[in-house]
Amino acid sequence: MELSDQDIRHVAQLARLRLMPGELGQVRRDLNRVLAYVETLQQLNLEGIEPTMHGGQVQAPLRSDRVSASLSVAQATANAPEVQGGMFRVPRIMESGGDAGE
Amino acid sequence: MDRYEVIIGIEVHVELKTQSKLFCGCATRFGMEPNSETCPVCLGMPGVLPVLNGEAIEMAVKSALALHCQVRPFSKFDRKQYFYPDLPKAYQISQYDQPLAEWGWVEIRLSGGAPKKIRVRRIHVEEDAGKLNHMGQRLGDAVGSLVDLNRAGVPLIEIVSEPDLRSAEEARLYLTELRATLSYLDVSDLRMQEGSMRCDANVSLKPVGYQGSLEDLPRVEIKNVNSIRNVQRGIDYEVARQSEVLQAGQRIIKETRGLDDATGRTYSQRSKEEANDYRYFPEPDLPPLVLEPAWIDEVSHHLPDLPATIRQNLMARGLPEQDAEVLVQDREAYDYWSKAIHYHADEKLVANWMLSDVARLINARQESYARCSVGPQGLAELLDLMADGTLSGRMAKEVLEGMFETKETAREVVKARGLNQITDTGALMEVVKTVVADHAVVVADYRSGKDKALAFLVGQVMKATRGQAKPGLVNTLLKEAIGREDLTT
Amino acid sequence: MSEIWQCSASGLHAEFVDGALRAQDIVGAHLERIDAVDSQIGAFLYVDREGAMKTARMQDDWSKVDRIHHPLSGVPVALKDNLMTHTMPTTAGSKILAKFIAPYDATVVERLGAAGAIMVGKTNLDEFAMGSSTEHSAWQKTRNPWDLTRVPGGSSGGSAAAVASQMVPLALGSDTGGSIRQPAAYCGIVGMKPTYGRVSRYGLIAFASSLDQIGPLTRTVKDAELLYRIIQGHDPRDSTSLPDTADPFPMVGRPLRIGIPREYFTDGIAPGVRTSVEDALERLKMLGHQLVDISLPHTEYAIATYYLIAPAEASSNLARYDGVRYGLRQAGTDLLTMYETTRDQGFGDEVKRRILLGTHALSAGYYDAYYSTAQKVRTLIRRDFEEAFAEVDYIVTPTTPDQAFVFGERDEDPIRMYLGDIFTVTANLAGIPGLSMPIGVQNGLPVGLQWLAPAMHDLSLLSVARMLEMDPEEWIGPKGVKA
Repeated sequence: MELSDQDIRHVAQLARLRLMPGELGQVRRDLNRVLAYVETLQQLNLEGIEPTMHGGQVQAPLRSDRVSASLSVAQATANAPEVQGGMFRVPRIMESGGDAGE
Repeated sequence: MDRYEVIIGIEVHVELKTQSKLFCGCATRFGMEPNSETCPVCLGMPGVLPVLNGEAIEMAVKSALALHCQVRPFSKFDRKQYFYPDLPKAYQISQYDQPLAEWGWVEIRLSGGAPKKIRVRRIHVEEDAGKLNHMGQRLGDAVGSLVDLNRAGVPLIEIVSEPDLRSAEEARLYLTELRATLSYLDVSDLRMQEGSMRCDANVSLKPVGYQGSLEDLPRVEIKNVNSIRNVQRGIDYEVARQSEVLQAGQRIIKETRGLDDATGRTYSQRSKEEANDYRYFPEPDLPPLVLEPAWIDEVSHHLPDLPATIRQNLMARGLPEQDAEVLVQDREAYDYWSKAIHYHADEKLVANWMLSDVARLINARQESYARCSVGPQGLAELLDLMADGTLSGRMAKEVLEGMFETKETAREVVKARGLNQITDTGALMEVVKTVVADHAVVVADYRSGKDKALAFLVGQVMKATRGQAKPGLVNTLLKEAIGREDLTT
Repeated sequence: MSEIWQCSASGLHAEFVDGALRAQDIVGAHLERIDAVDSQIGAFLYVDREGAMKTARMQDDWSKVDRIHHPLSGVPVALKDNLMTHTMPTTAGSKILAKFIAPYDATVVERLGAAGAIMVGKTNLDEFAMGSSTEHSAWQKTRNPWDLTRVPGGSSGGSAAAVASQMVPLALGSDTGGSIRQPAAYCGIVGMKPTYGRVSRYGLIAFASSLDQIGPLTRTVKDAELLYRIIQGHDPRDSTSLPDTADPFPMVGRPLRIGIPREYFTDGIAPGVRTSVEDALERLKMLGHQLVDISLPHTEYAIATYYLIAPAEASSNLARYDGVRYGLRQAGTDLLTMYETTRDQGFGDEVKRRILLGTHALSAGYYDAYYSTAQKVRTLIRRDFEEAFAEVDYIVTPTTPDQAFVFGERDEDPIRMYLGDIFTVTANLAGIPGLSMPIGVQNGLPVGLQWLAPAMHDLSLLSVARMLEMDPEEWIGPKGVKA
């Protein structure tokens, strides 16, 4: 399953990474090398094998519904690149630019 | 229209009213200063980890059981990934292929029709996103947006129906019954205006004779509608629009549409042809959620009475179907009624007064049954006064209005307005007749010309009414009674 | 012991408790040592002189009882720069977190503080801990104290080099596929990755959440145990944190069955490494232990498994660096442009490569073939160890197939770089503890031996490793660093 330049562009778009035209070839070669390497896993018979999704704990602990202190607005926004009225400011959202969230 | 069948499925997001957020201890209060209820966890700072709020899980389980779902003893959390400024981690912790609960139903009753079960496909738990404030009229012309993350991480349940709904009216009934059911569980504020309950409706038209899967029909999703009424309007508009498109020989585009509240029309927001690839995968920071079947049983045994039971119960007690329905659908009204009948025995009368006069005043004054100037005990007292003859129905209405205005009790209003005098001729006449009958000798004296005898009789009436009758009226009535007796003898 | 900075952590603490050394003298000596040698090594990204001296002065006023109650009082510690500290910047070695100051401390940082540790600074790492050489830091090169032309290993290369060049006796690192053990081996020190869930990850900048663990880097096994005991333990803020249960009965003090996995002793092992490891195995035999030939049959799939799971989780964990709430932002006229420019400028090439790989592995149509498959193979690798530990008490392997390499040697070929992790990634995939310790010097460079134990046997691991220490008090250090 070799990736084309267009596949790479699609993946980069999903990850919100920009690839310069000059980078694309190198990235494609690197990714295809890794993907070719991981193909070895396809040799294994994995029928009936459960995936290991988590590390140690087998069950999520539940916390009691108690309110604890929040940060101050100043603390919450201290590292923010652009703040206005205690809120994080972002550039305008283009409806058709693939920005659309939920 | 007859050539198409309307197919509707509904997704409802309900904010759970826990004290703290789903994965951190920040408060969930609505309307606070932006970003004042945030911490490293809900800000999606580097290095933070989620810890599940047990109360949210219990509320979700209650909801699932009340909607007749099967709660999975083993469910897991997944990351739903997309970039948007209101989603701090760029993924939402949700549940993908192993949700908390599945296979439930909600029963709706179309007027004049048989009950119909609308199947609930799944209920899962997830975190809410923050809030974006666009700096402009619309998203498109905004110069930028401001992000408030107070709501980020508030627990939600998403309730997904099967595409079993066939009309806007059925959608309305489904949502009404769903909301009523959840209201008795105390798990959410369920305020659509504030966003604590949000609906998305998927609408498609199925050509008659279509044999394929409903999933394959081009579907339009109407997103984030802010009232049940508007869901109905949106669906009506969408059905008309889609059938026009089809009749014109065009095809329906799979897309997301918003509803313009002012016009009731839907408008295209974004095409779903290029569907988002959410890259779901199991949340490695949260081990699976394991619920003991014994605990699930216990929760199910402690569910409060739900609309179906309450409706049956009210009708068995003789309430008219319509009254019963209104009470069932409005948890606050039902609670008000339940308390009021504790003090006043005539259950039908309580309902009748509530749903006419009290409801009118509540609406006029923009109050609610829970925050009502006249509480259930106050109403009961008023009805008591009516029952013992102190007040006529007409007077009671006047007193009720007074109670709403002054927030005083019925007796206080009666006293303050001088309504404690018995001005009701009919009631007073009964007392007068009794006095006349009991004092035949004095009456004879009066007839024989002793004017003083009338004063005695007036005193007797005042005594019998504990001074609440108007002396002038008593005079007139006595004369009338004695005179009329003259005629009869 | 001629110099304060040559002293072990336990030694320093003992002298501080006895009043033989003041904390100010200890910290001062280490800060001087940093001044003297770090310009050659480049281990530290940030040194908090004032904070450290302030803590030291405060501790000098403590009573003896106070000092005893704080088992790390008087002891300087360095932190890998992916551990959140509210008093020092935390950058993860990335431009995207330049100047970032966390509003909170990682659980391990809190625990160190509560134990009296004096935190002197933050150490260099491969950006977001992705790498095996610390060359992928956005900020600086870190050099191997044994040979300044060589890498210290990675990603905890700064912590390993700081400990090996005696700028601090203790440091914390994080290990996702060998990032503590490999640099420990390359720098001739002890490095331990605990059982997954033993040490809270709260406040560790996530790389691959299901694999990451924080652990100690020290010059002696005893110091590793000292540090491990402070940082381990249940944390309610980490849902993957294990409950506090006593370790199983330590498997020491009797003839042990030690597994030698044949898949780990292949032709790929450098001759020097092979010689030192074989010497160590001889010594184990001479100590009366039984070496048992075992098989971990799915070893050959470990790297492929790891390089699907880790990038997949990383692609998700690194999505939050979007220029909105913190970190770098590159201006953009619209949101999408801002996202892409910020992430393009903020992330280095190796990080981008892994984000792309991970994004692809999780994307529609590929999830089953890649991520889900890898998770199933992970189950097989875990079972390999379960079966092996039914036969043997411990497993011993070389930590790495080779010794520290020269700068730039592995830049070009990702697969070659990834294959260097072959002996270490399995412990992360299986969730079991692993420890690397120096067992010899070949060609002027140290060689590391790796011990693996069943899950939860962390303290056993720390006990058993002591038997191969040449001299637990006298660490054999590099000759390369001249003060």
